[in-house]
Amino acid sequence: MISQLRKLGIVGALLAAPILLGATLTLAPSLHAQQTARAKALGSKMMCVCGCNQILTACNHVGCQYSHAMLKELDDRVARGDSDDLILQSFIQEYGATVLMEPPAKGFTWLVWIAPIVAPILAFFVIWQLVRRWRRRAVLAPAGGPALSADLLDRARRESGKESDE
Amino acid sequence: MDIFGSFVLLLAFLAATYAFIGGIAGILTRRALLTKSALNAGMAVFGLVTLAVGSLEYFFFTDNFSLAYVSAHSNTALPPFYKFAALWAGQEGSLLFWSWLLSIYAFLALFLNRKKHPELMPYVGVTLAGVQIFFLTLNNFVASPFKILGGMDGSGAMHVARLSEGSGLNPLLQYPEMVIHPPMLYSGYTGFTVPFAFALAALLGRYPGEKWIHITRRWTMVAWCFQSVGILLGAHWAYAVLGWGGYWAWDPVENASFLPWITGTAFLHSVMMQEKRGMMKVWNVWLVFVTFMLCILGTMLTRSGVVSSVHAFAESSIGGWFVGFLAIIFLVCLAAWWKNRDYLRSDNQLDSLVSRESSFLFNNLILLAACFAVLWGTLFPVLSEWVTSNKISVGPPFFNKVTIPIAMFLLLLTGVGPLLAWRKTSLDALQRNFAWPLAGGVVAGAVAFAFGFRQFYPLICLILSVFVTLTILAEFYRGARVIASRDGTNLLTAVGELTMRNTRRYGGYVVHFAMVLIFIGIAGSAFNQDIQKEMGPGDTLSIGRYTILCQNFDQVSNNNYQSERATLEILRDGRSEMMLYPERRFFLASQVTETMVAVQSSPLRDLYVVYAGRSPETNKPVIHAYLNPLVKWIWFGGIVLVLGTGLALMPNRRAAIVLRPVEEPSWGDAVQGAPGSPAASPVVRRSGADD
Repeated sequence: MISQLRKLGIVGALLAAPILLGATLTLAPSLHAQQTARAKALGSKMMCVCGCNQILTACNHVGCQYSHAMLKELDDRVARGDSDDLILQSFIQEYGATVLMEPPAKGFTWLVWIAPIVAPILAFFVIWQLVRRWRRRAVLAPAGGPALSADLLDRARRESGKESDE
Repeated sequence: MDIFGSFVLLLAFLAATYAFIGGIAGILTRRALLTKSALNAGMAVFGLVTLAVGSLEYFFFTDNFSLAYVSAHSNTALPPFYKFAALWAGQEGSLLFWSWLLSIYAFLALFLNRKKHPELMPYVGVTLAGVQIFFLTLNNFVASPFKILGGMDGSGAMHVARLSEGSGLNPLLQYPEMVIHPPMLYSGYTGFTVPFAFALAALLGRYPGEKWIHITRRWTMVAWCFQSVGILLGAHWAYAVLGWGGYWAWDPVENASFLPWITGTAFLHSVMMQEKRGMMKVWNVWLVFVTFMLCILGTMLTRSGVVSSVHAFAESSIGGWFVGFLAIIFLVCLAAWWKNRDYLRSDNQLDSLVSRESSFLFNNLILLAACFAVLWGTLFPVLSEWVTSNKISVGPPFFNKVTIPIAMFLLLLTGVGPLLAWRKTSLDALQRNFAWPLAGGVVAGAVAFAFGFRQFYPLICLILSVFVTLTILAEFYRGARVIASRDGTNLLTAVGELTMRNTRRYGGYVVHFAMVLIFIGIAGSAFNQDIQKEMGPGDTLSIGRYTILCQNFDQVSNNNYQSERATLEILRDGRSEMMLYPERRFFLASQVTETMVAVQSSPLRDLYVVYAGRSPETNKPVIHAYLNPLVKWIWFGGIVLVLGTGLALMPNRRAAIVLRPVEEPSWGDAVQGAPGSPAASPVVRRSGADD
């Protein structure tokens, strides 16, 4: 009984497949090929909101319900002569701030831009202080004992130079 | 078999718990037998988890869909190759896979060191067992892969529902790289547990010297290599399967795998300061701690649904467990460091700013800056939502703007660092070592500029890549020339001899060269082109020097999927070169459609063609073609990276020492008897001198 059911399932799936395949291929997203350079540039500043984390113009995520409609809307607005700011604002209003590829450098989101610059500078400062402290501690007292001859000093320099080369 | 699987998994949990509690008791009571039995229990976990994994695989290979996990990730038509890989296709199975890999590492670490380091190993065993307990808790009580389908009826009797067919494996995972990529990445994640365990053990047990670093050097390199390969295979999978023409999208899950790689890289460099000069002990210990915590954070990000990603598993409540575990690890590390911080005092100080030590310091600073930038960008949407209740996106432009300058600086240090001497580098040495490589880089940049290659970062990348390559070649040449002139061999033999005498140093240079190749490949993306067009038979599309002639569209089917396929003839400069067959597959079991990209790859460029589907307006097939320069260099760089790491892992060949009488007076004779002289004071030579 189970094997019959399994066979029936496979046959059913095989029969339904061409219909579903055709439907999926026809409804496939991101096939909006005719875009102006300006629309392309604006599209690259936005993100597809389907959750694929891809640039709007690059989203070919199968089953995506958004990118085709978004690209069409973008083209329409560009054709209408809307300014870049107006287009971006209208998309933010419609889809939320997540539609922007990068957050604006104002308000709270300013932090996302400033922290990666400030943090290494602070770290550099800390390391600089650390190095200075180390170097202060590294001052050695002059060693006592007999003075080395000039020949011996020369040999020492020669050998240490050779060691650094190897 | 489901009961068996659950049973052995529970036994594994109990064994790990015993290894943890018994290990602590053994340390506190100093009873050797108790410690030994705890360590044995730690090793036994491997056998028990292996049985659990085998049990789950048995369900997959026998098409037994009574388990919820098997029915959700397999079906009868799934090829055996992918049935094996279905183990890590979902949350529960991948967590079991995590535990299994961890148990393998733990077994090897405990078994290979069972007769060594008697003061250190009990602490190592306890730490490893602690991590195992966490993952086995998840496997047993939170996300068990052995949950059966069905339930209890009104009378309390258990009914098992055995389905005749499963839902099938996610089509995105039905690709050869997906069989290799997750195990590689997980091996990297889990592998960092071993250096973490040894570092924490050395700190807790106040184990003297740099022994823990010598013990874990190879473990760290192996984990780092797995992580590198895992990341590159993931990038290749994204490139070949997702069909968007790129390989890295700064997706949160991609970033999560990148973070421990960055800190692991920093650690591999900074340990040399501790080995050679006894410096940066606190830094090294914390780098290992942070690397391990980032591994756990990465695992959490993939599984909790905290960040949205196409790579993530379904949203679940498992995140809280990971947050708790991370908090415990952090507190344990903090307490261990605080209690034993005097043990980590540096032996030496920095003698000069122009030295190998300072280059390692800057290397670490830059790597940590990169790590912070990526982590910050990845988690900022969560922070923003938490603070302002507004969701925002932080996409690739942010990461590119922030990380590219950092990466350029790192590339510069890759060339500069190895040429600086320990302690102090003289001006003469600087000129001698840098003049030619720098000149080579500048000339390459000037030539590229003259040929119209004007984009800022790709141009800088080219100059630095030539500079670094020349510094590496110069390093090999200088060393080989000395050996060749002394032994009378040719230069090539001398290069082999030189490399085998200090595998770690020269293997490291090979890895640096691999990074140059990868950087060049990434820089190529600045010159990507793409075009999309509706095409019917006989239509053409032009991109660069290529013309794509559409010959036909047909359908192909088997038990697993049905596909619509384009037959495209590729002409280069008007001459027929080859055929490409991009597809769109409809997978029957999961009822999902996916693209199958066709790529013509060469060292200079990839012609990458996607069958994007049919236009909703005209119903004509749409072809999207990309011309991506130099992508192959990235994959080739990955192969060189593995070879370099393999070389660095090999033991050094010992040079034959021939003694001969010394004609000059010895140092001892020259300064003997002087107070404070080298002969009078004990000289401590640091081991691990190969850099």
